[in-house]
Amino acid sequence: MCLQNFPCQEVERHNKPEVELKTSPELLLKPILICRNEAEKCLIETSINSLRISLKVKQADELENILTKKFLRFLSMRAEAFQVLRRKPVQGYDISFLITNYHCEEMQKHKLIDFIVQFMEDIDKEISELKMSVNTRGRLVAAEFLKQFI
Amino acid sequence: MSATDEFVEADNAEAIITRIEHKSRKIESLLKQWKPVEALKTALEGSPPNTRDERCKSANWIVVHRAIMAIKDLDALFSSLDPEYYDILMKYLYRGLSTGDRPTCDQCLRIHERLTERAGLGCILRSLADTANTV
Repeated sequence: MCLQNFPCQEVERHNKPEVELKTSPELLLKPILICRNEAEKCLIETSINSLRISLKVKQADELENILTKKFLRFLSMRAEAFQVLRRKPVQGYDISFLITNYHCEEMQKHKLIDFIVQFMEDIDKEISELKMSVNTRGRLVAAEFLKQFI
Repeated sequence: MSATDEFVEADNAEAIITRIEHKSRKIESLLKQWKPVEALKTALEGSPPNTRDERCKSANWIVVHRAIMAIKDLDALFSSLDPEYYDILMKYLYRGLSTGDRPTCDQCLRIHERLTERAGLGCILRSLADTANTV
């Protein structure tokens, strides 16, 4: 991950993440799309001063769909706290990370990479835990409610 | 300048597509003889990096894909493949990974892991950075 500072070419005194704007093709590398299977994929787009990683998480059924959306929206809303998270995921994906050269200067690169890999590993576990807790609660509530009719 | 280039491209495209068809017939026969490694080598050899025609690239991709899916023994592959083909193979692997089709992705991931061990990270970076000769 080699990102360096690159002030905007078009506008004076502006410094924008080039991967978001995509104005000059010479500053961008080829985006790679890695699909583990039909449901999960990862898009990595790089440019001279920024890097965008978008993930699509596996969603087996409707409940997982809703849980994933809500959970990841919760995280994205608090993107300020994460710093490398993007507030809105890229079209077609569930969550996006935007890493700029400033992040690389402040934080250690291998730690950033570890963070993202850890995130990818944990997200599946988190979603299944949430799903299990929803099902358990639903069962308990239904049992309590229907007891009165016995 | 670019007009003549395109004119040359069109002629070349037909020639290249015929060449690719010949190659695919050869590869089919090699696969029937249980020689998937030679098949992959033949597929990678005629890679047309300088053409911008999408049809040639897709035609070549189909041929390479067929050879990649037929590979079972990865060790034999790497012991006999020349290093100059590592970069081209890496580009095709990434094209395979973007398809999203499960068996293709599984196979591509398996080969990718071994190829990275062999060729190193530079190979991956060259496939990212090379916008002139894309597959």
